[in-house]
Amino acid sequence: MDNKIFIFLGLLFASIIVLAAAIELPLAIFPYFAKLVLLMVAMFFVVLAFASRYYSYLIIPMVKQRSKHIMLDKENTYWLSASADSIIRKVKDTFIATVYVTIPIYRSATEMQPEEKLEFANQVSRLVGISKDPVRYSTQMYVMDKDAYLQTIRDNVNAAENAAEELSQRSAPAVEIERAKGKIAMWRNMLDTISKGTSLELVTYASISATGTKEYEAVSAVQQKARDVISGVSTTFGVTPTIVTGEEILKFVEPEHMIPVTTISAQINKNIEEEVI
Amino acid sequence: MDSTGIIYLTFSLVIVLITFSFLPHFGPGIYRIIAVIILLIAVVLILMLNWIDFIVFPAVSRMLGITFQPMKDYKIVKSQDAIVKSVGGIHYAIGYLTANLFAYTFKAENPEEDVDSRIAEAPDRWERAVSGIDFPFKFHVLSCGRDVQKARDALEGKRGYIEFQMARLAQSGKQTDTAMEELQRKQSIIQTQMDRIAQGEKPISTIMYIETVGVGVTEKSALDNLAAQEARLQVALSSLDIQIIKIVGRELYSIFNFNFSLPTQYNEIASNFDMQG
Repeated sequence: MDNKIFIFLGLLFASIIVLAAAIELPLAIFPYFAKLVLLMVAMFFVVLAFASRYYSYLIIPMVKQRSKHIMLDKENTYWLSASADSIIRKVKDTFIATVYVTIPIYRSATEMQPEEKLEFANQVSRLVGISKDPVRYSTQMYVMDKDAYLQTIRDNVNAAENAAEELSQRSAPAVEIERAKGKIAMWRNMLDTISKGTSLELVTYASISATGTKEYEAVSAVQQKARDVISGVSTTFGVTPTIVTGEEILKFVEPEHMIPVTTISAQINKNIEEEVI
Repeated sequence: MDSTGIIYLTFSLVIVLITFSFLPHFGPGIYRIIAVIILLIAVVLILMLNWIDFIVFPAVSRMLGITFQPMKDYKIVKSQDAIVKSVGGIHYAIGYLTANLFAYTFKAENPEEDVDSRIAEAPDRWERAVSGIDFPFKFHVLSCGRDVQKARDALEGKRGYIEFQMARLAQSGKQTDTAMEELQRKQSIIQTQMDRIAQGEKPISTIMYIETVGVGVTEKSALDNLAAQEARLQVALSSLDIQIIKIVGRELYSIFNFNFSLPTQYNEIASNFDMQG
């Protein structure tokens, strides 16, 4: 039976005991005021019992910890599976494995005919009903980490400058020097355009969970579910979904992976500059 | 309200009501009046927790300044409307909004409108809305297939109750066109859903919500950025004509947990979100 029922019944029982004590309290020893205090305590237990249906996750730690900062969970609650394609959580004695599957849909409504738009909307409706098990379909927009890409462009600028320098030193034909200068201008323009502002990326993915008494059981079950979803999505949209592995999963789980630190620093500097000006 | 909710409410209220019969034990005059006030407060609190718990609990935690730690490095703020994570001196505030797109997915529920054109416009509207957003966000659709027989039985029950309401309204003589039209509309929605199940479509339940992340060097600035982003999302998605409400309290906690593991059965979803169902 669910733990919540025991908490509910326990609190109701506590309220009945306190209530009985309030009613039977001998007046010769305790005044009416004591009875009212006990009545308040009993009613507090009744209200707590009712609230325990949804808030048992808060009430028990609140009562135990009696602090202003209540820890519902202080541990790292998930880890990557050995196969690196799912994250695992342990809730009591059950392992829950979760898999993330990217759905590569790159179609835009601007390039669709009206009937194609209707068909696309209906495909999305069908997507939602693919599985009998709970599946979460998500569209995530996040800030691209352009650092590596920008470095590549910077390297290209340097390489183009070196090439132009070399050409001018060995008195190469003017056409070749012009071409090298054009290359430098092209890479510099690209660097200016790309480093200006933030670039956002849109990704669609599905997430599915499965449980097991052992970690490998949960992983195996979730992999089976993921295969079913992949086949359903593939049939509906004609694309090839893939299971996300390794550190890539963090992009869908942890907030700091949605915005690169360099972008945040740039934004903070910009805000400070605006405030100063 | 589901059957479990009715059991919780009944048992809690029965104890309070039985206590009324023991009022003479709590003393005469002013003592009895105080006892009645305590009992009435308990009844009001139980009823408030039943219908507006998402206002009551955050108000209590805000008043007492209580914060919660749902997981290592994360903190649910005292107003219970955001979760903050601190990494390397940078704060990430995560907030959630409901965003039900039912009008687009259950097209047969609005037979009087030109639904096909509305659905065909949906991809365009979505792209226009998204192109105006320049911060990270996720749109999630958590779907779950339901047992066909149970879904049909539930719909038949709802249809029977609406027919009973219509009959009562017709007999009362206080019949108003708007009330009757509203009931007829509900009846037509249920009938459409039953027809679709009869045609072989799988009944599904969905929870749709938006997640966004605000970043700042202090917790306050992250929360301010989050609030601004949520307001901008409301404006951007207004063209889709969807109801957007900030998620607080226990639903915030449940939805936050979905980032790491999803429910594996329909019952787990239904027990957490019966107010939205």
